[in-house]
Amino acid sequence: MKLFTRYNRILVVISLSGLLLIGFLFYRMLVYYLDRQIDHDLVEEIMEVKEYSAKGNFYQPHEFEDLIVQYKKVEKVNSSSSYADTVFYNPLKHRKETARYLKTEFELVGQPYQVLVIASKFERQEQIRNICLIILIPVLLLFALVLLVNRILLKKIWVPFEQLLENITAFNINHERPYEPVEMPVAEFRQLNEVLVALSGKVKSDYNEIKLFTENASHEMMTPLAVINSKLDNMLQSNVLGKEDGETLVELYKATSRLTKLNQSLLLLVKIDNNLLQDEEQINLKSLIKEKQVYFQELISERNITVESTLADVSISASRSLLEILINNLFSNVIRHNYDGGKIEITLDADKIVFANTGHNKALDPEKIFDRFYKDNASEGTGLGLAILKQICNRQRYQLDYSYYQDLHTFTITFNHQ
Amino acid sequence: MPYLHIMKILIIEDEPGLQRSIAQYLLSEGNLCSMASTYIQALERLGVYEYDCILLDLTLPDGEGLQILNYLKRMNRNEGVIIISARNSIDQKIEGLSLGADDYLIKPFHLSELNARILAVVRRKSAHGERHIEFNEIRIDLDAKEVLVNGKVLYMTKKEFDLLLYFVSNKGKVISKSAAVEHIWGDDSDMADSFDFIYTHIKNIRKKLTDAGSRDYFQSVYGIGYKFTEV
Repeated sequence: MKLFTRYNRILVVISLSGLLLIGFLFYRMLVYYLDRQIDHDLVEEIMEVKEYSAKGNFYQPHEFEDLIVQYKKVEKVNSSSSYADTVFYNPLKHRKETARYLKTEFELVGQPYQVLVIASKFERQEQIRNICLIILIPVLLLFALVLLVNRILLKKIWVPFEQLLENITAFNINHERPYEPVEMPVAEFRQLNEVLVALSGKVKSDYNEIKLFTENASHEMMTPLAVINSKLDNMLQSNVLGKEDGETLVELYKATSRLTKLNQSLLLLVKIDNNLLQDEEQINLKSLIKEKQVYFQELISERNITVESTLADVSISASRSLLEILINNLFSNVIRHNYDGGKIEITLDADKIVFANTGHNKALDPEKIFDRFYKDNASEGTGLGLAILKQICNRQRYQLDYSYYQDLHTFTITFNHQ
Repeated sequence: MPYLHIMKILIIEDEPGLQRSIAQYLLSEGNLCSMASTYIQALERLGVYEYDCILLDLTLPDGEGLQILNYLKRMNRNEGVIIISARNSIDQKIEGLSLGADDYLIKPFHLSELNARILAVVRRKSAHGERHIEFNEIRIDLDAKEVLVNGKVLYMTKKEFDLLLYFVSNKGKVISKSAAVEHIWGDDSDMADSFDFIYTHIKNIRKKLTDAGSRDYFQSVYGIGYKFTEV
């Protein structure tokens, strides 16, 4: 639920129940006071009756007074009087109306009489209704106005907040652009904004530190690797190596080479992250792919892999180093994970490059394959090839997708996705 | 024998293990090696001797290796310089090369690669530089990128040519498959662990050479690599 909706809901519930309660009390008070007023009138009528009786007459009220005075002979005067509500037939209006009566007994022209004065409450009730309406309608209008103003005002107040949310979403740790602060007129939001600016700065600097650490660690490892490599090269020259030594050396070479590749890949990732490869130029992708295909030709024919390529003459503006690595990685991926006698399909059109290959594996998890160090155990790769691919696509703002269709592992790079 | 003259090489490198390995390899090729571990030592050596080639590590404990390049430039020295660095940075590469370095080799490297680069640099630097290499009946023309056996031109692909030149430059040495792969594939390729196809390359080169009447100088060594050597 939105804050605004929640706030409004609470406001409406409380205001309406408050309004109901106050309305009820107000109504009761009004009825009470009007009853008192009617009772007062009834007493005055009784006075009138007494005055008339002193002159020896029975008082009868005017027609327009909505009053009825009834006299009833009684045995003896019981000096008590009572007020109450009742319903009576108004002979003037020919209808039943709610009313109030005063019943009392006293001597009238020397005889004991019970006198009943009934006064219609109709007029008074009309009054109450009108008073209530006069008060209620403006209150309701005011209430509606408050809700409306609230809605407009809150919306306006939340605008910078929404901008802030947008900026957080747009914030990317890999991009040079820092988190953009928003002009905040509201103190709480301003505080939030300040916290976010500080936080994004911290995140960025921590991230940079990690990158720097990776870079330094990888660089530091290169020198010992160089020592190992050079010692192996010298050992290889020895004339007294046996077959077993040879096998050991092969393993050592492989391990060293893998460690070197791993380090180089990590450094490459950092380099792409740091945007160090920015040699933007117009690149003919068709000729680049053809060139790389020749470059990999021996590896492809060695394993009897068939290449089917449909290449349109496409040029795009991009970093040459990044695209070369991209195409290199795509090629080595489709060759490495293929089987002997397998197939590679390469398609290039104005929107996308597609590399598809047959392989031993069934469909891979598209959520995971671009993660760093994700690889199947059989692979001799570093587990960074696809991560580098992904990183380059991020950097160039291409979309990279994996799918498995008709026994083909398919990697699609879309250039101008929206 | 081709390039008969003995090369004098200065190794400026602060990692003693690497320094010794490089020296061991180069000495066994019949070269003379001097060693320097610091900037000061390097300057002392350079003040006294002239070299054919200088191997320069850029990160020295007491000073930037680039200062040595500045020194050589100031003194109008003609030594070939190969930077050996753990930093694969384009900026540093450009800076080094613009300061007069002739090549830039990134650690870790194979000694056979280093040796081939040294030979290439020295060849380029020498005033009456021989633009071809001869090995018995084989002649490699570096300008035309051609291989001739008994004066007859062979057709070779670029990779085969590079590989043959690499082996001839390191003649008598065992070159591991991984070194051979890295030589022709460079280090931006992710495929250097698939060594096996190097076998096909060597087989093709051997066949082309022997078909043209050359003797077979390639020897396979314990499945690790190959050696190009006198029969």
